[in-house]
Amino acid sequence: MSMGIPEIEDSGCLLCFGYNGADSHPIVARRIVRGKQKGMKIICVDPRVTETARISDIHLQLKGGSNLALVNAIANVIWSEGLTDDAFIREHTKGYDEFIEVIKEYTPEYAEPITHVPAEEIRRAARLYATTKPAMILYGMGVCQFSQAVDVVKGLANLALMTGNFGGPAMGIGPVRGQNNVQGACDMGALPNSYPGYQNVTDPKSREKFEKAWGVSLPDKVGCPITHVPRRILHEKDESKRIHAYYIFGEDPAQSDPDLAEVREALDKCDFVVMQDIYMNKTGLYADVILPATGWGENEGVYTCADRGFQRIRKLVEPEGDLKPDWQIIAEISTAMGYPMEYKNTEEIWNELIDLCPSFQGATYEKMEKYGCVQWPCRDKSMEDKGTPYLHKDGKFATADQKALFYGTQWHPPLEKENEQYPMTLSTVREVGHYSVRTMTGNCRTLRNLEDEPGWVQMNTEDCRRLGLKKGELVKILSKRGYCITRCLPTDRVTPGATYMTYQWWIGACNELTIAELDPVSNTPEYKYCACRVEKIEDQEWAERHVQELYEDIRAQMGIHTGKGAKA
Amino acid sequence: MRKELGSFVLGDSTKCTGCKACEVACFTVHSRQQNQTGKTVGTVTVPVTPRLFLTKFEKGCMPVQCKHCEDAPCLNACTKGAISRTDHQVIVDPEKCIGCKDCMQACPFGAIALLPYAKNGRVVAQPMSPEPKVFACKCDLCQGIEGGPACVRVCPHEALRIVDPEAEREEKNIRAAEALLLTKNWR
Repeated sequence: MSMGIPEIEDSGCLLCFGYNGADSHPIVARRIVRGKQKGMKIICVDPRVTETARISDIHLQLKGGSNLALVNAIANVIWSEGLTDDAFIREHTKGYDEFIEVIKEYTPEYAEPITHVPAEEIRRAARLYATTKPAMILYGMGVCQFSQAVDVVKGLANLALMTGNFGGPAMGIGPVRGQNNVQGACDMGALPNSYPGYQNVTDPKSREKFEKAWGVSLPDKVGCPITHVPRRILHEKDESKRIHAYYIFGEDPAQSDPDLAEVREALDKCDFVVMQDIYMNKTGLYADVILPATGWGENEGVYTCADRGFQRIRKLVEPEGDLKPDWQIIAEISTAMGYPMEYKNTEEIWNELIDLCPSFQGATYEKMEKYGCVQWPCRDKSMEDKGTPYLHKDGKFATADQKALFYGTQWHPPLEKENEQYPMTLSTVREVGHYSVRTMTGNCRTLRNLEDEPGWVQMNTEDCRRLGLKKGELVKILSKRGYCITRCLPTDRVTPGATYMTYQWWIGACNELTIAELDPVSNTPEYKYCACRVEKIEDQEWAERHVQELYEDIRAQMGIHTGKGAKA
Repeated sequence: MRKELGSFVLGDSTKCTGCKACEVACFTVHSRQQNQTGKTVGTVTVPVTPRLFLTKFEKGCMPVQCKHCEDAPCLNACTKGAISRTDHQVIVDPEKCIGCKDCMQACPFGAIALLPYAKNGRVVAQPMSPEPKVFACKCDLCQGIEGGPACVRVCPHEALRIVDPEAEREEKNIRAAEALLLTKNWR
């Protein structure tokens, strides 16, 4: 995020795009609610009536998969009505004219049939965003989980650039990250293309630095993104590129990745699978080795918040049983494989890391202790450098000439469109009670009692009436790739023709249906759009029994026994 | 001095984001009182029975709970004497409740649910059946719980408050009177 999370509530206008804070980040949602109370205007872009949509000034209820058409149309209005910050564009950006050439044709009237948003509403939203200062954009998985994702992120950045909304507090553009400590994982170089601190593996200078520090020679090629793993196991002809071993930790691809049938086949065919996690999960069923790790509260280290803030995490209780924290497991495996790692504690690891990463160098344990949170870049170890709450101060960007680049692209539709056989669309979403793949929250009785297997499919009441479905009834939902059984939730918060499911349920596993179509740059799958069909199940008693049996079966495979006295 | 009207907890749809922290907190404090559960949710061994109900629909989202009616229809409907007024609050005695659903039918706000009854960390079975005994589960304003209503305390959005209807009415009177002072030609 270019801004800090506490700044959200002080913005004049929030453009909340494909981001449902109430379900995915209740604590960020709190900032949005407070902002509203302080007079912040809210424009919510979401195909569903989310809690943010409910308190928004303008809700653009777009059709799923039309993001870039809408973003370009907003840019078109800002440009054609002269609402741009010309001084900012002149002094701090490049490529504006080329960008205008692209968005010229995206008039609100052109976008209306694509987005299903009335042209006048697009104009109203564009005017409100462009004429309120400071204005902020927050976006979430509703932007990133499409095959056209990176283009939309750049499109949103274009809006902030053309209105001069960079370089000060409570403005800018913020991806509110989709997974716990995903910002930290990226910061630490858990990406196929970078070392810690976003230093590219293809850059000889960076490589040389890390080779010298670690005393090894490092490959000069970009690694394999997680979403390419199944095909690199199953279909790779080049033996040197074929994957034979898969070490998975803190991740449950057999639940969270698209097209689960393919993932299962890949895990099955992979020669060697290691799983490192705190509880048994679906991926664990395919593992040759399971390494039990510690959960939060049982280990310590550093966490990065979505707004680049490094924070210490501390141990509350001693872990019980035969398990170790992740850093010790990694160090021991590495030592056993011939590269000794002898760290005494996490601070030693951290100190090695920050000395190799110029933008993290000043973020010492001492500073995190004293200030609670240090937002990178923080380059100086002196206590005066408290980090950077917002990026691009005074309009200076992290490019060679400090200028931001406009980037215009054409909209293209999602890959798999509705058809006769599969007339509806499926988008995967979150719900507040369960986190991610539920490896953690699914093991909490309280949360499981609030929402449990096999989950729900949200459908418009009209569609439910047409199919003769009642609330709570078990239904079969199918796509070209697979099917699952879940409960019907009729609601007018979603539009006809669209369905929404949360992806954590073992039985109602919507990723059986999703498509492994990826964004060409980020390699993120198109979780938010595929064609599907909902079928009524006539014999509800059978379905209830069947779901129970499937659930018991998975639990038995995982070796889970229900505790005595627990009705769960 | 005795208060004339009973208090109740009220949700605010403009602040609520539907996070269910109120439901979890409500269950936790009551369960701690009745089932001696620990501080963390992992120690819970009984069904989760919140006494307020997060209600989500197209136009809004907020918890709904008992208003502690002065002429309470649930109390009037109960033939077993399981519902009483204590200190202006409408309280259910789960031991006396037979799960007849009369109060549930009578309540115009849906503030009563029949949920499994647990004591000392175990679900109480019906005398003649393995099915769990159910009871009229409703807000008791955290009677006997330190700090008062847990839902109000935990809401991260301050979307819940305790209403003292008489005090609020007096306040409104004062505001109205102040407004009237500004109008010159009233008589």
